Amino acid sequence: MSTPQGSNVKDRAKTALKDEFLVDAVKFTTERLKNSKKAATAENGNWEEWRERGRQIRLHTIAHLDYYLSRFVENARAQGVHVHFAPEAKDAARIALEIAEHQGAKSVVKSKSMVSEEVHINEAFESIGIESIESDLGEYIIQLANEPPSHIIIPAIHKNRHQIAELLSKEAGETLEPETKILAGFARRKLRDKFLEADIGLTGCNFGIAETGSVVIFENEGNARMVSTVPKTQITLMGMERLIPTWDDLEVMATLLPRSATGQKLTMYMSGITGPKRAQDGDGPEEMHIIIVDNGRSLQLGDPEFQELLNCIRCGACLNACPVYRHIGGHSYPGTYSGPIGAVLTPALNKNAGEWQDIANASSLCGACYEACPVKIPLHDMLVYLRNRKVERGYTAAGEKMAMKGFKMLMKSHKRFRKAVKAGQIGQKLLVRDGYIRSQIGPLGGWTAYRYIPELPKQSFREQWPDLVTEVEKSVQPMAADVKLRMEQIVKARGKGGQHA
Amino acid sequence: MKVSLFITCISDALFPPIGEAMARLLARYGVRLHFPEVQTCCGQPAFNSGYWDEARASAQTILKAFDDSDFVIAPSGSCTGMIHHYYPKLFEHDPELLEKSHRLKEKTYEFTQFLVQVLGVTDVGAYFPHKVTYHPSCHGSRLLGIKEEPMQLMSHVEGMEFVPLPYAEDCCGFGGTFAIKMSEISGAMVEEKSQHVLETDAEVLVGLDMGCLLNIGGNLKFQGKPVRVMHLAELLYEGVKNREYAAGV
Amino acid sequence: MSISNPEFLAKLKQESLEAEKRFIGNIAGRLGRSATGPAPEHPFRGAPDFWTSYELDREQQISRFMSNWQAAGGFAERASGMSEVSERICRILGELNAGSTIRQNLTELAQLGLEERLPELRHDAWNGLQTGAALRTAEKADAGIVLADYAVAYTGSIVVTSSMDKGRSVSLLPNILIAVIPAERMFTRLGEVMGRIAAIPGEQFPAGVHFISGPSRSSDIENDLTIGVHGPGVAYALIVG
Repeated sequence: MSTPQGSNVKDRAKTALKDEFLVDAVKFTTERLKNSKKAATAENGNWEEWRERGRQIRLHTIAHLDYYLSRFVENARAQGVHVHFAPEAKDAARIALEIAEHQGAKSVVKSKSMVSEEVHINEAFESIGIESIESDLGEYIIQLANEPPSHIIIPAIHKNRHQIAELLSKEAGETLEPETKILAGFARRKLRDKFLEADIGLTGCNFGIAETGSVVIFENEGNARMVSTVPKTQITLMGMERLIPTWDDLEVMATLLPRSATGQKLTMYMSGITGPKRAQDGDGPEEMHIIIVDNGRSLQLGDPEFQELLNCIRCGACLNACPVYRHIGGHSYPGTYSGPIGAVLTPALNKNAGEWQDIANASSLCGACYEACPVKIPLHDMLVYLRNRKVERGYTAAGEKMAMKGFKMLMKSHKRFRKAVKAGQIGQKLLVRDGYIRSQIGPLGGWTAYRYIPELPKQSFREQWPDLVTEVEKSVQPMAADVKLRMEQIVKARGKGGQHA
Repeated sequence: MKVSLFITCISDALFPPIGEAMARLLARYGVRLHFPEVQTCCGQPAFNSGYWDEARASAQTILKAFDDSDFVIAPSGSCTGMIHHYYPKLFEHDPELLEKSHRLKEKTYEFTQFLVQVLGVTDVGAYFPHKVTYHPSCHGSRLLGIKEEPMQLMSHVEGMEFVPLPYAEDCCGFGGTFAIKMSEISGAMVEEKSQHVLETDAEVLVGLDMGCLLNIGGNLKFQGKPVRVMHLAELLYEGVKNREYAAGV
Repeated sequence: MSISNPEFLAKLKQESLEAEKRFIGNIAGRLGRSATGPAPEHPFRGAPDFWTSYELDREQQISRFMSNWQAAGGFAERASGMSEVSERICRILGELNAGSTIRQNLTELAQLGLEERLPELRHDAWNGLQTGAALRTAEKADAGIVLADYAVAYTGSIVVTSSMDKGRSVSLLPNILIAVIPAERMFTRLGEVMGRIAAIPGEQFPAGVHFISGPSRSSDIENDLTIGVHGPGVAYALIVG
C-alpha cells in the first residue's frame, strides 16, 4: 500500500477500490466503530437532547468567537501561557520552529493533532534537523509507513493488524506477532525513552475552555499526558474554533465526543491543562505555548451556508457512517481531512475554491453524515452549496454545463418534456434488447457499466392519464366522514405553523 | 378537496404503473386524484449538481402545477424532500415564489405518509404471497423521517413474508448524477447493496423511490438475478387485486 | 538548554499582542462587529435540564462506578475503611510482584503504613520540590498510588489534580495504578465535578486536571481496545466506605 495516486478523487478512488486490503480494513473498522457508537448512543437514552444541546453550545460559541477567544487568551496568559496567533499554517510552523531553534531542541514528541497535519509540523521540524516523533500508536504506525492519517481518530484505519505487525517488526528488528497487545507493548517500550529524552512536547487540543484558559485533551493511550507531563516545554496547536465557554459545557462535549468517536462513555483520559506547572509542582512543563491557528477557518464566519462547519468537534462519526468513505478510504481525499467533513472542510478552508477538484462530487448526498454528526452539521447540504459555488464561479465541465442547459430546456415546459419522452420511446429502439438498454455509450457509460436500464414503456404516465382517469372515476368510493374532517382540519391549520412530518 | 398527484419525472417516463396504482388505491378511500399536466421535474438533478438556475426553471413548473391543490402526493421521498427542504432555499431571493414554496411544502406528502398520516390507513386489505425485502431510501427515511409508515402498511399485507434487508439504511449509491460522475464508487455501492438483497433470498425488493430502485434493479438485472423490483404502491395495489381475485369479485 | 530566555519570550509576547489585534479583529469583522463586545448571554450552558436533575444514591453511584470501571478493563473493589484499603493494596502489590511504589504525598496515603507492612519494597512519596528527580522516581516505580479528588459514577472516572504533593506522573508513569476513592468524593454526573473545578480561584487552579476512566488503551489497531499503551496497564479503584 502506498499513498494514493491520481490528481482527483475519482482517480484516487479507482485505485483504492482495487486495493482489497484497504477496502476490507476500512470496512471492518468503520463497521466496528459505527456499531459501538450505535450501542453507546442507545445506552445513553437521550441522545437527541444531548445532540441538540451540543449544537446550541457550538453555534453560540462560534457566533461569539471573538469574545470567547479573547477570554481564553486572557485567562491562559494569566496562568503563564505564551499565546501566539497564526493566521496561516505557515505562521504556526514558523512560530513553533522559532521556539525550538531558540531552545536548541533536538527532539519533539507529539500527541495526536489534526491541526498539526494542516501545518505539516513534522516535516517542518525535520527540515531543521529536529526529530519529531508521533507517540499516538496510530500516528506512530503511519509515520513509520510515511503516510498521512486516513481517518480523524483512527489514523491507520486503512491498515490491518498484519500490515501493522510488519511495519513495527521492521522497526523492532525482530518479528512481532500480529496481536494488538504485543504491538502496543512494543510501541510502549520504544516510545517511553523518546518521551524521557524529548525537549519539547507538542499536543493538539480538543477544546479550549474560555473561562479558565484551559486546554482539554481526550485520549485513550496516555501519550498526550506523557507529552504534557515529561518534556520541559509544551507547545499546543489549537484551531481557533476549538473553544467552549465553560467547564459546564465540557460535560456536554464529553458526552458527545467519545460516544460518537469510539462508542466509549469517556476516553480513558480527559485532561485539562491550565498553564505550565506551578512553581512547586514536581512535574509538568516549565514553559507552555499555545499557537492559535486560523488557516482558512475565519473564511466561514459570516457565511450563512458554511459557518456551522466550525461547530465540528472532530469525532470522525461522519467518516464511519459514510458509504463513500467506507469504500474508498481516507487517502482518496485530497487534503488533511477525509470523509464527508473533509469533502466540505478542505475546499472551505481553501476559500471554497472551485478548483478544488471533484471532491464535492464524491457523495451520493445520502445524509448519513448528518444523521451521525453529534452537533448536527448539515454536511449533505453544504456539499450541494459547494457544487453550486463551483457552478456560479464557472468551474464546470463543458459537457455537464451543456447537459444542464438541456435539462432546463426540457423541464421548463411540460409540452417539451412530453415530446422528449415520446422521442425517447421511438429513438431507444436501436438500443433496447429484451426490454433493457445495456450498451455503454456516451454519458450513460458510467451507468451501464454496472446496471441495465429498462426501456421506456410505449406510453408515459401523462399519455395514459386521460383514459385512466375516466376509468378510475367509476371506482371512487365515498370518503369516510372522519377522514374528510381530518383533511379539512389539516388544511385549516396551515399557515399557522401547523405542519406535518 | 383537491388532491393532486406529483408523479415525478422518472415514474412518469419509466414507471407509469406506479401512478395508476396510486390512483386506483386512493379511489378506494374516496380520494379523486387529480393530475396537473404542467408539472415536469422537481429539479433535483440540476439542484444537486449545483445548477440552481436550471433547477428553478424546472421547479417553477411544480409550483405552478400545484398552486391550487389542497394536498400533493408523490411516490418518492426524494422528490418530496426536495420540495420540503430545498425549495425555500432555491427561491429565497424571490418573495412571491418563496411564499409559494412554503405553501407547497406544507401540503406535499410522500405517498405512504399521506396514506397513513392523513387517510389513517395502515391495512389496505392486500394479499401478496411472496418473500419481500424493503430498501428504505435515504432521503425519505433520513430527511423526511419516513420509517414507520411503510412498515405499518407492509405488516398488514396478508401472506407476505417480510425479510429485513441487512444494512438496510446504507445508501444504494444512486445519488442522481453521482452515479455517472463517480461511477466506480457508485458501482461499488450498488454491488454491495445488491449483495445484501440477494442474501435475503427475497423474490421481491420493494421501496419508495424509483431512483434507488432503478439503480438496484438495474444492477440486479445486470447480474442476471431474477429479483422483482417494485414500488410499494404497486405491491399494495397488486395485493388488493389478488385479494379481489381470490374473493371472486 | 531547554527553556527559553526571558528576552526571547518578551519578544514573542510583543509579537503576540500585535498579532492578536489583527487576528481577533478579523474574527469580529467577519461576524459583523467592529469590536469585540461584552459577555453574550449563554442560554444553553452545560447539560440539558433533564440531566441536571438526574441523581443516584450513594450505593447506586458506587455500583455504577464499579461496573463502568470494570467494563473499561479496570479492577474495582470496595473497602470498609483505610485499614482494609491498606490490606488490599498489599495483596494487589503482592499478586502483581511489584517491587516499588510511588504515592502522592498525602497524610491519608502515608497512614496506609506500606513501609511497615511491606518493608521489602521500595516506597516513595512524591516530592514536588525535586523537579526531575521526582519524575524519575515515579518512572522507576512499579505502582502509583493516588487519592482521587473526585469520582464520577456515570462515566466511571476518577479525577486527580496536580499540586506540589500530587505529581501527574504518579498516576501516569508506573505500570500499575491504584486509586483510593473515599465514597463521599463520588458524584453521579460529570457536571457536578465540572462545577467544582470551575469554582477553584485562578491562583489556586491546578495545572493538571485528569479524568481517568481505567487502564491505558489504544483503539488504533482495528479499533480493538487493547490494554496498556503509554499509561498504566493495570488500574485498580478501591472505594472506601
